[in-house]
Amino acid sequence: MPGNITRKFISVLLLLFITTGLAGCGVNAIPSLDEETTAKWSQVINQYQRRADLIPNLVEVVKGYAKHERETLTAVVEARSKISQMTIPKDILTNKNAFQLFQQNQGQLTSALSKLMLVVERYPDLKASQNYSNLQSQLEGTENRIAVARRDYIEAIKEYNTEIRTFPGRIWAALLYEDAEVKQNFTVENSKAIETAPKINLSQ
Amino acid sequence: MVWVVVVISSSKKIQFNRSNFSFLIMIIVMLLVAVTRIHASDLPFPKLTGRVVDNAYLLSDDVENKLTVLLKVHEDTTSNQVVVVTLNTLQGQTIEDFGYQLGRHWGIGQKKKNNGVLLIVAPRERKVRIEVGYGLEGTLTDAISKSIIDTVILPKFKSKNMSGGIVAGVNAMLPVLEGAEYRSTPKGFQFFTSINIGLIIHIILFLSVVILIAYFVLSEQLNSWEKFNRRDHIRDHRFNRRNDGYLNSGGHHGSSGRSGGFGGGGFSGGGGGFGGGGSSGGW
Repeated sequence: MPGNITRKFISVLLLLFITTGLAGCGVNAIPSLDEETTAKWSQVINQYQRRADLIPNLVEVVKGYAKHERETLTAVVEARSKISQMTIPKDILTNKNAFQLFQQNQGQLTSALSKLMLVVERYPDLKASQNYSNLQSQLEGTENRIAVARRDYIEAIKEYNTEIRTFPGRIWAALLYEDAEVKQNFTVENSKAIETAPKINLSQ
Repeated sequence: MVWVVVVISSSKKIQFNRSNFSFLIMIIVMLLVAVTRIHASDLPFPKLTGRVVDNAYLLSDDVENKLTVLLKVHEDTTSNQVVVVTLNTLQGQTIEDFGYQLGRHWGIGQKKKNNGVLLIVAPRERKVRIEVGYGLEGTLTDAISKSIIDTVILPKFKSKNMSGGIVAGVNAMLPVLEGAEYRSTPKGFQFFTSINIGLIIHIILFLSVVILIAYFVLSEQLNSWEKFNRRDHIRDHRFNRRNDGYLNSGGHHGSSGRSGGFGGGGFSGGGGGFGGGGSSGGW
Protein backbone atom coordinates (compact mmCIF):
# COMPACT_ATOMS: atom_id res chain seq x y z
CA MET A 1 0.00 0.00 0.00
CA PRO A 2 2.57 2.58 -1.01
CA GLY A 3 -0.15 5.02 -1.99
CA ASN A 4 -1.61 4.96 1.45
CA ILE A 5 1.69 5.42 3.22
CA THR A 6 2.59 8.32 0.96
CA ARG A 7 -0.71 10.00 1.70
CA LYS A 8 -0.29 9.41 5.40
CA PHE A 9 3.19 10.83 5.29
CA ILE A 10 2.01 13.90 3.45
CA SER A 11 -0.90 14.39 5.82
CA VAL A 12 1.34 14.16 8.83
CA LEU A 13 3.75 16.61 7.30
CA LEU A 14 0.92 18.95 6.47
CA LEU A 15 -0.55 18.80 9.94
CA LEU A 16 2.83 19.39 11.54
CA PHE A 17 3.45 22.25 9.18
CA ILE A 18 0.07 23.79 9.86
CA THR A 19 0.23 23.41 13.59
CA THR A 20 3.74 24.76 13.88
CA GLY A 21 2.75 27.50 11.47
CA LEU A 22 -0.17 28.44 13.65
CA ALA A 23 1.88 28.01 16.75
CA GLY A 24 4.60 30.21 15.27
CA CYS A 25 1.92 32.73 14.44
CA GLY A 26 0.55 32.76 17.95
CA VAL A 27 3.77 32.76 19.88
CA ASN A 28 5.23 35.68 18.01
CA ALA A 29 2.07 37.58 17.35
CA ILE A 30 1.35 38.63 20.89
CA PRO A 31 4.65 40.27 21.74
CA SER A 32 4.95 41.96 18.35
CA LEU A 33 1.41 43.30 18.47
CA ASP A 34 2.16 44.46 21.98
CA GLU A 35 5.20 46.34 20.71
CA GLU A 36 3.06 47.83 18.00
CA THR A 37 0.53 49.18 20.48
CA THR A 38 3.32 50.68 22.57
CA ALA A 39 4.83 52.33 19.51
CA LYS A 40 1.50 53.74 18.37
CA TRP A 41 0.72 54.97 21.84
CA SER A 42 4.05 56.79 21.94
CA GLN A 43 3.07 58.52 18.76
CA VAL A 44 -0.23 59.60 20.31
CA ILE A 45 1.60 61.02 23.30
CA ASN A 46 4.09 62.79 21.01
CA GLN A 47 1.40 64.54 19.04
CA TYR A 48 -0.51 65.59 22.13
CA GLN A 49 2.76 66.93 23.51
CA ARG A 50 3.36 68.82 20.30
CA ARG A 51 -0.01 70.46 20.72
CA ALA A 52 0.72 71.38 24.30
CA ASP A 53 4.00 72.94 23.18
CA LEU A 54 2.22 75.25 20.78
CA ILE A 55 -0.05 76.68 23.47
CA PRO A 56 2.27 79.21 25.15
CA ASN A 57 3.10 80.93 21.84
CA LEU A 58 -0.53 80.87 20.81
CA VAL A 59 -1.65 82.47 24.04
CA GLU A 60 1.00 85.19 23.75
CA VAL A 61 0.03 86.06 20.20
CA VAL A 62 -3.68 86.19 20.97
CA LYS A 63 -3.03 88.27 24.10
CA GLY A 64 -1.28 90.80 21.90
CA TYR A 65 -4.53 91.54 20.10
CA ALA A 66 -7.28 90.38 22.41
CA LYS A 67 -6.06 90.75 25.94
CA HIS A 68 -9.52 91.42 27.29
CA GLU A 69 -10.58 87.90 26.48
CA ARG A 70 -9.18 86.80 29.82
CA GLU A 71 -11.62 84.03 30.52
CA THR A 72 -11.04 82.21 27.29
CA LEU A 73 -7.29 82.56 27.47
CA THR A 74 -7.20 81.46 31.09
CA ALA A 75 -9.22 78.37 30.27
CA VAL A 76 -6.64 77.37 27.68
CA VAL A 77 -3.71 78.04 29.98
CA GLU A 78 -5.30 76.10 32.82
CA ALA A 79 -6.22 73.13 30.65
CA ARG A 80 -2.67 73.00 29.44
CA SER A 81 -1.09 73.11 32.87
CA LYS A 82 -3.42 70.37 34.04
CA ILE A 83 -2.03 68.21 31.27
CA SER A 84 1.59 68.98 32.02
CA GLN A 85 1.04 68.25 35.71
CA MET A 86 -0.60 64.94 34.93
CA THR A 87 1.64 61.94 35.47
CA ILE A 88 1.15 59.15 33.02
CA PRO A 89 1.48 55.84 34.84
CA LYS A 90 3.33 53.00 33.17
CA ASP A 91 0.25 50.84 33.03
CA ILE A 92 -1.92 53.50 31.47
CA LEU A 93 -2.90 51.28 28.56
CA THR A 94 -4.49 48.73 30.84
CA ASN A 95 -5.52 51.09 33.59
CA LYS A 96 -9.01 52.26 32.76
CA ASN A 97 -9.11 55.16 35.20
CA ALA A 98 -5.73 56.55 34.21
CA PHE A 99 -6.56 56.23 30.53
CA GLN A 100 -9.89 57.98 30.89
CA LEU A 101 -8.35 60.74 32.96
CA PHE A 102 -5.81 61.27 30.22
CA GLN A 103 -8.56 61.50 27.61
CA GLN A 104 -10.57 63.86 29.74
CA ASN A 105 -7.71 66.27 30.29
CA GLN A 106 -6.84 66.33 26.62
CA GLY A 107 -10.50 66.79 25.78
CA GLN A 108 -10.66 69.81 28.05
CA LEU A 109 -7.80 71.43 26.22
CA THR A 110 -9.55 70.67 22.95
CA SER A 111 -12.73 72.45 23.97
CA ALA A 112 -10.81 75.36 25.48
CA LEU A 113 -9.02 75.74 22.16
CA SER A 114 -12.28 75.58 20.21
CA LYS A 115 -13.64 78.44 22.26
CA LEU A 116 -10.48 80.39 21.69
CA MET A 117 -10.80 79.90 17.95
CA LEU A 118 -14.32 81.27 18.07
CA VAL A 119 -13.09 84.34 19.93
CA VAL A 120 -10.31 84.91 17.41
CA GLU A 121 -12.92 85.21 14.68
CA ARG A 122 -13.89 88.55 16.15
CA TYR A 123 -10.43 90.04 15.76
CA PRO A 124 -9.65 90.36 12.05
CA ASP A 125 -6.27 91.99 12.75
CA LEU A 126 -5.26 89.00 14.78
CA LYS A 127 -6.48 86.59 12.14
CA ALA A 128 -4.55 88.39 9.46
CA SER A 129 -1.28 88.55 11.37
CA GLN A 130 1.54 86.37 10.11
CA ASN A 131 2.37 85.08 13.58
CA TYR A 132 -1.13 83.91 14.20
CA SER A 133 -1.48 82.47 10.74
CA ASN A 134 1.63 80.33 11.22
CA LEU A 135 0.52 79.12 14.62
CA GLN A 136 -2.93 78.39 13.33
CA SER A 137 -1.64 76.18 10.55
CA GLN A 138 0.66 74.41 13.00
CA LEU A 139 -2.24 73.87 15.33
CA GLU A 140 -4.44 72.49 12.58
CA GLY A 141 -1.64 70.26 11.43
CA THR A 142 -1.12 69.01 14.98
CA GLU A 143 -4.79 68.27 15.49
CA ASN A 144 -4.72 66.30 12.27
CA ARG A 145 -1.64 64.39 13.42
CA ILE A 146 -3.37 63.65 16.72
CA ALA A 147 -6.35 62.27 14.82
CA VAL A 148 -4.10 60.07 12.67
CA ALA A 149 -2.09 58.88 15.66
CA ARG A 150 -5.26 57.98 17.53
CA ARG A 151 -6.58 56.05 14.60
CA ASP A 152 -3.32 54.17 14.26
CA TYR A 153 -3.41 53.37 17.96
CA ILE A 154 -7.00 52.17 17.76
CA GLU A 155 -6.04 49.87 14.87
CA ALA A 156 -3.09 48.53 16.81
CA ILE A 157 -5.00 47.72 19.97
CA LYS A 158 -7.81 46.24 17.95
CA GLU A 159 -5.34 43.74 16.53
CA TYR A 160 -3.75 43.10 19.89
CA ASN A 161 -7.00 42.75 21.81
CA THR A 162 -8.44 40.47 19.15
CA GLU A 163 -5.33 38.30 19.16
CA ILE A 164 -5.38 37.69 22.89
CA ARG A 165 -9.09 37.07 22.94
CA THR A 166 -9.52 34.74 19.99
CA PHE A 167 -8.24 31.31 19.11
CA PRO A 168 -5.40 30.41 19.00
CA GLY A 169 -3.97 33.54 20.52
CA ARG A 170 -5.75 33.16 23.81
CA ILE A 171 -4.16 29.80 24.34
CA TRP A 172 -0.70 31.25 23.91
CA ALA A 173 -1.63 34.16 26.13
CA ALA A 174 -2.77 31.77 28.84
CA LEU A 175 0.33 29.63 28.52
CA LEU A 176 3.09 32.16 28.02
CA TYR A 177 1.85 35.68 28.43
CA GLU A 178 -0.17 35.74 31.56
CA ASP A 179 0.15 39.49 31.90
CA ALA A 180 -1.29 40.14 28.47
CA GLU A 181 -4.35 42.25 29.11
CA VAL A 182 -6.91 43.85 26.90
CA LYS A 183 -5.83 47.45 26.30
CA GLN A 184 -7.85 50.60 26.64
CA ASN A 185 -9.48 52.28 23.71
CA PHE A 186 -10.58 55.85 23.23
CA THR A 187 -14.23 56.22 24.12
CA VAL A 188 -16.76 57.62 21.71
CA GLU A 189 -17.55 60.80 23.60
CA ASN A 190 -13.95 61.81 23.52
CA SER A 191 -13.77 61.02 19.85
CA LYS A 192 -16.47 63.61 19.41
CA ALA A 193 -14.43 66.13 21.36
CA ILE A 194 -11.53 65.56 18.99
CA GLU A 195 -13.76 65.83 15.97
CA THR A 196 -14.87 69.30 17.02
CA ALA A 197 -11.26 70.38 17.34
CA PRO A 198 -10.40 73.83 16.00
CA LYS A 199 -10.63 73.66 12.23
CA ILE A 200 -10.93 76.94 10.45
CA ASN A 201 -13.38 76.87 7.60
CA LEU A 202 -11.57 78.29 4.59
CA SER A 203 -14.28 77.99 1.99
CA GLN A 204 -15.76 81.43 2.31
CA MET B 1 -2.80 19.94 18.45
CA VAL B 2 0.56 18.24 18.25
CA TRP B 3 -0.66 15.22 20.16
CA VAL B 4 -3.45 14.79 17.63
CA VAL B 5 -0.80 14.50 14.97
CA VAL B 6 1.13 11.99 17.05
CA VAL B 7 -1.94 9.87 17.61
CA ILE B 8 -2.87 9.86 13.98
CA SER B 9 0.58 9.07 12.76
CA SER B 10 0.99 6.22 15.18
CA SER B 11 -2.28 4.68 14.23
CA LYS B 12 -1.75 2.17 11.52
CA LYS B 13 -5.35 1.27 11.36
CA ILE B 14 -6.58 4.47 9.77
CA GLN B 15 -6.82 4.08 6.07
CA PHE B 16 -5.71 7.19 4.29
CA ASN B 17 -7.83 6.70 1.27
CA ARG B 18 -8.88 9.45 -1.01
CA SER B 19 -11.97 10.59 0.86
CA ASN B 20 -10.16 10.76 4.18
CA PHE B 21 -7.40 12.73 2.64
CA SER B 22 -9.63 15.33 1.12
CA PHE B 23 -11.58 15.53 4.35
CA LEU B 24 -8.34 16.26 6.15
CA ILE B 25 -7.44 18.94 3.66
CA MET B 26 -10.84 20.47 4.14
CA ILE B 27 -10.42 20.56 7.92
CA ILE B 28 -7.03 22.19 7.58
CA VAL B 29 -8.37 24.82 5.24
CA MET B 30 -11.25 25.54 7.61
CA LEU B 31 -8.86 25.91 10.50
CA LEU B 32 -6.71 28.26 8.52
CA VAL B 33 -9.69 30.36 7.58
CA ALA B 34 -10.91 30.41 11.16
CA VAL B 35 -7.66 31.80 12.46
CA THR B 36 -6.97 34.20 9.66
CA ARG B 37 -8.43 37.63 9.97
CA ILE B 38 -9.11 39.20 6.65
CA HIS B 39 -8.45 42.88 6.49
CA ALA B 40 -11.02 44.52 4.30
CA SER B 41 -9.61 47.66 2.80
CA ASP B 42 -11.81 50.55 3.74
CA LEU B 43 -11.57 52.62 0.61
CA PRO B 44 -11.05 51.76 -3.00
CA PHE B 45 -8.01 53.87 -3.74
CA PRO B 46 -7.18 55.07 -7.24
CA LYS B 47 -4.35 53.32 -8.98
CA LEU B 48 -0.89 54.81 -8.91
CA THR B 49 -0.45 55.09 -12.65
CA GLY B 50 2.47 57.46 -12.54
CA ARG B 51 3.78 60.56 -10.81
CA VAL B 52 0.74 62.48 -12.00
CA VAL B 53 -2.59 60.73 -11.49
CA ASP B 54 -5.16 62.95 -13.15
CA ASN B 55 -8.46 61.24 -12.44
CA ALA B 56 -10.38 64.53 -12.52
CA TYR B 57 -9.04 65.39 -15.98
CA LEU B 58 -7.69 68.78 -15.02
CA LEU B 59 -4.42 68.58 -16.91
CA SER B 60 -3.60 68.29 -20.58
CA ASP B 61 -1.28 65.52 -21.72
CA ASP B 62 1.39 68.11 -22.31
CA VAL B 63 1.24 69.51 -18.78
CA GLU B 64 1.08 66.02 -17.33
CA ASN B 65 4.20 64.98 -19.21
CA LYS B 66 6.10 68.10 -18.23
CA LEU B 67 5.16 67.68 -14.57
CA THR B 68 6.17 64.03 -14.67
CA VAL B 69 9.61 64.93 -15.97
CA LEU B 70 10.00 67.60 -13.30
CA LEU B 71 9.01 65.23 -10.52
CA LYS B 72 11.24 62.46 -11.81
CA VAL B 73 14.24 64.76 -11.88
CA HIS B 74 13.40 65.82 -8.34
CA GLU B 75 13.35 62.22 -7.17
CA ASP B 76 16.60 61.46 -8.99
CA THR B 77 18.35 64.32 -7.25
CA THR B 78 16.76 64.24 -3.78
CA SER B 79 15.16 60.78 -3.50
CA ASN B 80 11.93 62.56 -2.44
CA GLN B 81 8.85 61.21 -4.13
CA VAL B 82 6.34 63.90 -5.02
CA VAL B 83 3.07 62.86 -6.61
CA VAL B 84 0.27 64.99 -8.01
CA VAL B 85 -3.18 63.43 -7.81
CA THR B 86 -6.53 64.84 -8.87
CA LEU B 87 -9.58 62.96 -7.66
CA ASN B 88 -13.06 62.95 -9.05
CA THR B 89 -14.40 62.08 -5.63
CA LEU B 90 -13.25 61.99 -2.02
CA GLN B 91 -15.76 59.19 -1.39
CA GLY B 92 -17.34 61.02 1.51
CA GLN B 93 -14.09 61.43 3.43
CA THR B 94 -12.46 64.68 4.39
CA ILE B 95 -9.40 65.42 2.32
CA GLU B 96 -7.29 65.13 5.48
CA ASP B 97 -8.56 61.61 6.15
CA PHE B 98 -8.23 60.55 2.55
CA GLY B 99 -4.83 62.14 2.08
CA TYR B 100 -2.69 60.26 4.55
CA GLN B 101 -4.42 56.98 3.79
CA LEU B 102 -3.73 57.43 0.10
CA GLY B 103 -0.13 58.30 0.83
CA ARG B 104 0.25 55.17 2.94
CA HIS B 105 -1.58 52.98 0.45
CA TRP B 106 0.66 54.07 -2.39
CA GLY B 107 3.69 54.10 -0.12
CA ILE B 108 5.00 57.36 -1.51
CA GLY B 109 8.48 58.20 -0.33
CA GLN B 110 11.45 55.95 0.40
CA LYS B 111 10.81 53.46 3.14
CA LYS B 112 13.53 54.49 5.52
CA LYS B 113 13.26 58.20 4.87
CA ASN B 114 9.48 58.60 4.62
CA ASN B 115 10.11 61.46 2.20
CA GLY B 116 6.91 61.53 0.24
CA VAL B 117 4.63 64.42 -0.67
CA LEU B 118 1.24 64.38 -2.31
CA LEU B 119 -0.48 67.33 -3.91
CA ILE B 120 -4.13 66.31 -3.84
CA VAL B 121 -6.86 68.20 -5.69
CA ALA B 122 -10.52 67.29 -5.33
CA PRO B 123 -12.42 69.67 -7.60
CA ARG B 124 -15.83 68.25 -6.87
CA GLU B 125 -15.48 68.92 -3.15
CA ARG B 126 -13.38 72.00 -3.94
CA LYS B 127 -10.57 70.97 -1.65
CA VAL B 128 -6.83 70.87 -2.06
CA ARG B 129 -4.23 69.38 0.24
CA ILE B 130 -0.48 69.09 0.46
CA GLU B 131 0.14 65.84 2.32
CA VAL B 132 3.64 65.56 3.74
CA GLY B 133 5.34 62.35 4.84
CA TYR B 134 6.95 61.96 8.25
CA GLY B 135 10.43 62.59 6.97
CA LEU B 136 9.71 65.90 5.28
CA GLU B 137 7.55 67.49 7.95
CA GLY B 138 10.44 69.59 9.14
CA THR B 139 11.27 70.84 5.65
CA LEU B 140 7.88 71.36 4.07
CA THR B 141 6.23 72.54 7.26
CA ASP B 142 2.52 72.94 7.79
CA ALA B 143 2.94 76.70 7.70
CA ILE B 144 4.76 76.65 4.36
CA SER B 145 2.23 74.24 2.88
CA LYS B 146 -0.56 76.49 4.04
CA SER B 147 1.14 79.51 2.54
CA ILE B 148 1.68 77.77 -0.78
CA ILE B 149 -1.95 76.75 -0.89
CA ASP B 150 -3.29 80.17 0.08
CA THR B 151 -0.99 82.41 -1.92
CA VAL B 152 -0.02 80.30 -4.92
CA ILE B 153 -2.60 77.63 -5.62
CA LEU B 154 -5.98 78.96 -4.50
CA PRO B 155 -5.83 82.28 -6.36
CA LYS B 156 -5.48 80.34 -9.60
CA PHE B 157 -8.15 77.84 -8.66
CA LYS B 158 -10.52 80.65 -7.81
CA SER B 159 -10.09 82.05 -11.31
CA LYS B 160 -10.77 78.56 -12.67
CA ASN B 161 -7.21 77.94 -13.77
CA MET B 162 -6.89 74.49 -12.27
CA SER B 163 -3.96 73.43 -14.39
CA GLY B 164 -2.08 76.64 -13.62
CA GLY B 165 -2.73 76.28 -9.93
CA ILE B 166 -1.35 72.77 -9.85
CA VAL B 167 1.73 73.70 -11.84
CA ALA B 168 2.38 76.73 -9.66
CA GLY B 169 1.95 74.64 -6.54
CA VAL B 170 4.52 72.11 -7.70
CA ASN B 171 6.89 74.89 -8.69
CA ALA B 172 6.55 76.37 -5.22
CA MET B 173 7.02 73.08 -3.35
CA LEU B 174 10.04 71.68 -5.16
CA PRO B 175 12.56 74.39 -4.26
CA VAL B 176 11.54 74.14 -0.61
CA LEU B 177 12.02 70.39 -0.73
CA GLU B 178 15.41 70.93 -2.28
CA GLY B 179 16.41 73.03 0.67
CA ALA B 180 15.71 76.55 -0.57
CA GLU B 181 14.32 79.06 1.86
CA TYR B 182 10.68 79.70 1.33
CA ARG B 183 9.60 83.08 0.07
CA SER B 184 5.94 83.67 -0.49
CA THR B 185 6.41 84.78 -4.07
CA PRO B 186 8.00 81.74 -5.64
CA LYS B 187 9.93 81.83 -8.87
CA GLY B 188 8.25 79.50 -11.22
CA PHE B 189 7.73 81.76 -14.12
CA GLN B 190 9.84 79.97 -16.66
CA PHE B 191 7.86 76.80 -16.60
CA PHE B 192 4.55 78.58 -16.45
CA THR B 193 5.39 80.81 -19.39
CA SER B 194 5.96 77.85 -21.63
CA ILE B 195 2.57 76.52 -20.61
CA ASN B 196 1.08 79.88 -21.48
CA ILE B 197 2.51 79.80 -24.96
CA GLY B 198 1.22 76.30 -25.40
CA LEU B 199 -2.21 77.50 -24.37
CA ILE B 200 -2.12 80.32 -26.88
CA ILE B 201 -1.19 77.98 -29.68
CA HIS B 202 -3.99 75.63 -28.70
CA ILE B 203 -6.46 78.51 -28.73
CA ILE B 204 -5.35 79.55 -32.19
CA LEU B 205 -5.66 76.00 -33.46
CA PHE B 206 -9.09 75.65 -31.91
CA LEU B 207 -10.30 78.86 -33.50
CA SER B 208 -8.96 77.80 -36.87
CA VAL B 209 -10.77 74.50 -36.64
CA VAL B 210 -13.99 76.27 -35.76
CA ILE B 211 -13.57 78.62 -38.69
CA LEU B 212 -12.84 75.74 -41.05
CA ILE B 213 -15.90 73.84 -39.89
CA ALA B 214 -18.04 76.95 -40.25
CA TYR B 215 -16.68 77.41 -43.75
CA PHE B 216 -17.42 73.87 -44.83
CA VAL B 217 -20.87 73.87 -43.36
CA LEU B 218 -21.74 77.16 -44.95
CA SER B 219 -20.53 76.00 -48.32
CA GLU B 220 -22.65 72.90 -47.93
CA GLN B 221 -25.60 75.08 -47.16
CA LEU B 222 -24.95 77.22 -50.20
CA ASN B 223 -24.71 74.13 -52.38
CA SER B 224 -27.95 72.72 -51.12
CA TRP B 225 -29.67 76.05 -51.59
CA GLU B 226 -28.40 76.25 -55.12
CA LYS B 227 -29.49 72.76 -55.96
CA PHE B 228 -32.76 73.48 -54.31
CA ASN B 229 -32.52 70.20 -52.38
CA ARG B 230 -33.96 69.45 -49.02
CA ARG B 231 -32.07 71.18 -46.17
CA ASP B 232 -29.56 68.86 -44.67
CA HIS B 233 -30.83 68.99 -41.12
CA ILE B 234 -28.58 66.18 -40.09
CA ARG B 235 -25.49 68.23 -40.94
CA ASP B 236 -26.86 71.18 -39.00
CA HIS B 237 -27.34 69.12 -35.90
CA ARG B 238 -23.96 67.56 -36.21
CA PHE B 239 -22.39 70.97 -36.46
CA ASN B 240 -24.22 72.17 -33.38
CA ARG B 241 -23.39 69.16 -31.31
CA ARG B 242 -19.74 69.22 -32.18
CA ASN B 243 -19.58 72.91 -31.49
CA ASP B 244 -21.13 72.42 -28.06
CA GLY B 245 -18.63 69.65 -27.37
CA TYR B 246 -15.69 71.98 -27.91
CA LEU B 247 -17.18 74.85 -25.99
CA ASN B 248 -18.21 72.90 -22.94
CA SER B 249 -15.13 70.85 -22.44
CA GLY B 250 -13.09 73.95 -21.77
CA GLY B 251 -9.59 72.92 -20.81
CA HIS B 252 -10.03 69.32 -21.82
CA HIS B 253 -8.86 69.07 -25.36
CA GLY B 254 -11.07 67.62 -28.04
CA SER B 255 -8.25 65.38 -29.22
CA SER B 256 -8.76 61.75 -28.53
CA GLY B 257 -7.84 59.71 -25.48
CA ARG B 258 -4.95 60.08 -23.11
CA SER B 259 -1.93 58.03 -23.80
CA GLY B 260 0.09 57.08 -20.76
CA GLY B 261 2.77 59.56 -21.72
CA PHE B 262 5.91 58.46 -19.98
CA GLY B 263 4.40 58.65 -16.55
CA GLY B 264 3.13 55.12 -16.71
CA GLY B 265 5.85 52.59 -16.65
CA GLY B 266 8.33 52.18 -13.87
CA PHE B 267 7.08 54.42 -11.09
CA SER B 268 6.05 52.92 -7.80
CA GLY B 269 5.99 54.04 -4.21
CA GLY B 270 9.08 53.41 -2.15
CA GLY B 271 7.16 52.41 0.96
CA GLY B 272 7.24 55.72 2.79
CA GLY B 273 4.92 56.59 5.67
CA PHE B 274 2.57 59.46 6.47
CA GLY B 275 1.36 60.78 9.78
CA GLY B 276 -1.06 63.53 8.83
CA GLY B 277 1.37 66.38 8.26
CA GLY B 278 0.67 69.10 5.74
CA SER B 279 -2.10 71.55 5.13
CA SER B 280 -5.39 71.91 3.31
CA GLY B 281 -7.43 74.59 1.67
CA GLY B 282 -10.73 75.05 -0.10
CA TRP B 283 -12.32 77.33 -2.60
